[in-house]
Amino acid sequence: MVGCQNHMRTAVRYLLLTLMSAIMVFPLVWMFRVAFVAGGGGLSLNDLLTTNWTITNFADLFTQANLGTALFNSILVGGIVTLGNILFCFMIAYALARFQSRLNKILFVLVLLVLMIPMHIIIIPLYLLCLKAGIYDSYWALILPWLVNPIGIFLVKQYIESIPPSMEEAARIDGAGEARILLRVVMPLCRPALAVLAIQVFFTNWNSFLFPFILTSKEHLRTLPVALAHYQGHQAIDWPHLMAGSTVAVVPVLVLFLLMQKQIVSGITAGAIKQ
Amino acid sequence: MKSFRTPSLILTSPWSLTFILFWVFPVTYSLYISFTDYRLLTGEYDWIGLANYRELLSDPAFLAALKNTFIFVGGTIPFTTVFALVMALLVNRQFRGRAFFRSAFFLPSITSMVVVALIFTNLYARGGYIATLANLAGVSIPIHGFLYDNTTALYSIMAMDVWMSVGYYMLIFLAGLKAIPDELYEAAEINGASPMKTFWSITLPLLQPVALFVIVINSIKSFQVFVEIFVMTKGKFDTATSVFFIYEEGLTTAFRIGYASAAAYVLFIIIALFSIAQFVLLRKRSAAW
Repeated sequence: MVGCQNHMRTAVRYLLLTLMSAIMVFPLVWMFRVAFVAGGGGLSLNDLLTTNWTITNFADLFTQANLGTALFNSILVGGIVTLGNILFCFMIAYALARFQSRLNKILFVLVLLVLMIPMHIIIIPLYLLCLKAGIYDSYWALILPWLVNPIGIFLVKQYIESIPPSMEEAARIDGAGEARILLRVVMPLCRPALAVLAIQVFFTNWNSFLFPFILTSKEHLRTLPVALAHYQGHQAIDWPHLMAGSTVAVVPVLVLFLLMQKQIVSGITAGAIKQ
Repeated sequence: MKSFRTPSLILTSPWSLTFILFWVFPVTYSLYISFTDYRLLTGEYDWIGLANYRELLSDPAFLAALKNTFIFVGGTIPFTTVFALVMALLVNRQFRGRAFFRSAFFLPSITSMVVVALIFTNLYARGGYIATLANLAGVSIPIHGFLYDNTTALYSIMAMDVWMSVGYYMLIFLAGLKAIPDELYEAAEINGASPMKTFWSITLPLLQPVALFVIVINSIKSFQVFVEIFVMTKGKFDTATSVFFIYEEGLTTAFRIGYASAAAYVLFIIIALFSIAQFVLLRKRSAAW
């Protein structure tokens, strides 16, 4: 009797889970199918069930709509911002973790403070700043403001504090210079934390729309999200091409997600646990 | 011990620079221009004191944007929080297929908001998938599509937002569930407590700090909703939110950046008050538990 009840419970549980995951995954599957629809349409269920699959939508985007440029921009900006954050957040976090001074304590409090400031407050002034500094409408505007992420400093600092300083001291006794200790001893030890930081920064940057959108206007500077939003805006909606472009924007993130799930999850939960 | 002052200053300089250039300066400068009639196109401006703030409070467009912002925050957060908690409870224990379900739930959170907004623009369109489903169910639907109707546009965007963010908050709840010691559950089981009883008297109270964190960060984020509004409706059909108002006033047509900055500060104050209130309220309640 009890066994039967357990079976029932398991069945209900799996049914519920399947239904929920179907709802969660369905829109992405829909996007993927529309991306391969030949000709127009791509709106109704009927379109999707009856039309053939084609890859010409993707080819069109690269040959006629400059999707290649947007893809290049997203990779370039995302790559530089991610590398910058790995280097800078590591340097900063190391100093904050190992050198106890009043200034460093203040600097760390400022990290926590900035984490609480809502980003919308800097929309207008950052736009003005970029305009006045002459970096509006350049790669600099897409890169410079985001090279140091306060969450990154926080994450890496916590990690360095969990590593005993004995390794560094041993290297110092062996006569290694400080720069060498930093890059050859401590940085490799921090690899797990830096991987978490890298994936988080890259995802945020890759998906970011608001700031790339307001800080640039030239077409050749558009990142993928900006290009997609413009593509939707400038003509009657051409769903197969728009969803093909969306697929191009989603697939790299999806692959990275499947490869680095552990780092992504720990990056998100690290901040939460602290609270 | 060697002096560490110079290396420390060099190592922390990227943060000092970022902080001054991209945080202190923007935040204080926009406070300053919020007291001026600065328009980008004219370039000249005068100090006008609180005039922008006074105008905001009687500007129907701003009040409508505030109203929509509150509807958005108040209407999404209860659903997101409860669904995220239910999902977390469902995939917390070890069972076959758990990793798959977790990933499926989390998938929307890593997708770009622009892409999600485009997909749902398609799904919500006239003759689109959701309209077809609603027709089959016999529900009456707006003739021009869900996003082209004052009564449904904002709520449709809100439903999408819940769908998109539950997976992220599920992960945070999972971390919270992991932190609850197993002994408590074992003790409850020995004492013959029912699963329901265990949930209400162990899981839920101990999850309170995590729930508070989820609600606070989600409201701070939701108060600033912009991208989905911009992509899906361009603020039409009564969907303009506060940040959309800031964008429209400050960075389009009239470029009233003084006025837009004042609006940004009003929203800033609302967010700050709201976060403080949530902390105080929920702390008090958890102390009384």
